[in-house]
Amino acid sequence: MIYPSDVIINAAIVSAISFLIIFFITPPFIKYLNKKGKTVVDYHKPGKPLIPRPAGPIILLGIVVAEIILYLLILDVKIISLLLTTIIAFFIGYIDDLKTMPGWFKPVALILAAIPIIVLGSHGNYLGLIFDSAFIPLLYIPLILSIIPIVGNTINSIDVFNGVASGFVIITMIPLLVSVLLFGNTNVFLMGLPLFFGCIAIFHYHKFPSKIFLGDSGTLLLGSMYAAISVAGNSEIIGVIALLPAVMNSFLFLSSVKKIVEHRQVKTRPVTICDDYRLMASKEIRAPATLVRLILAKGPLSEKEIVNRILILGTFSSLLAFISIVIQYSIMKGIISL
Amino acid sequence: MRMFGLFALIFIMWSMIMIVSYFLIFIIGPFHITLFNNSTDGLVSSVIKASLAIGLVVVLILLLGILKTRYLRKTLLKN
Repeated sequence: MIYPSDVIINAAIVSAISFLIIFFITPPFIKYLNKKGKTVVDYHKPGKPLIPRPAGPIILLGIVVAEIILYLLILDVKIISLLLTTIIAFFIGYIDDLKTMPGWFKPVALILAAIPIIVLGSHGNYLGLIFDSAFIPLLYIPLILSIIPIVGNTINSIDVFNGVASGFVIITMIPLLVSVLLFGNTNVFLMGLPLFFGCIAIFHYHKFPSKIFLGDSGTLLLGSMYAAISVAGNSEIIGVIALLPAVMNSFLFLSSVKKIVEHRQVKTRPVTICDDYRLMASKEIRAPATLVRLILAKGPLSEKEIVNRILILGTFSSLLAFISIVIQYSIMKGIISL
Repeated sequence: MRMFGLFALIFIMWSMIMIVSYFLIFIIGPFHITLFNNSTDGLVSSVIKASLAIGLVVVLILLLGILKTRYLRKTLLKN
């Protein structure tokens, strides 16, 4: 029997471990990356400063240590599958950090990250569809094989400005964790806490003006773990609703470019930089449509203003996710019937 | 007001997800076909339900594509 006090103690332990490791080890890691010359240019700032990259290894360290300790406390095999998914996604991103891979590499390779969830049976057979659940034991497998690469790449493609990916995951994790607690189970909720608190810790260094960039290893890790938690916690649709602005960004980009391609391989940029370092939507018809281009459609904005607007959109979609949670919970408890 | 269009777009996307969820649960979910009066009927029904569900998701994506094109014309190209 699991007592509420045990859950609170375990939650406090794993949250603190993930947060403290990432918060305190990131500054020396930034120095290490600077010393090794592992830096990239931040094109959106005056003087184009060099920013260390990637933060992925530190995020992974904090999450892995917290999840291993959680495993020792509750002995749930779902933790192993979640960890394997996260580690595989990290290495796929890390390969891309070291060497620029073709556009197909990340989505295809991320299918591998979905396999531990299926092999270790961390998924259910029911897909929660707000109004009820659908029993789809066979359809669920291809769904998992596609949801991990899609969400991983969705978070990766929204990481275009300082603090967007980490800030966005913090905001969207709130409805996801509530949903997992209500419709999934307590153990998966505990598994999600290291990601949430790890994101809060790294956001301190990633927010505008960034002291470190997440890199592909960081963003793919965050996206894949987010997707794995939503699958293991029976909250796939809630997770997707919270991510709607990022989903919209990927959809806009893919449907205008018409193929899977790396952002840096796109010849016509969706935004241009003004002399005062504000950003402006491209007037080129051939330029890909992105969320940022739409935000800038009515005039130029500074990087910080764009970041704030993306996070406001994330807050709005998270509110819609909360409305969906209330509807699903009310139907589940018989408060409303259709 | 600068962001009104984007809020509206996200709200429409959410509404479409809710409508598709409703259809999957209340229209496609209870669907059952009787052909041979044996266990094969269950399999046939499942295949039809899965096909309808996938078709519905494809329709959702196509509708989103139309919505996106209209929105882009209205904002980017007008400006």
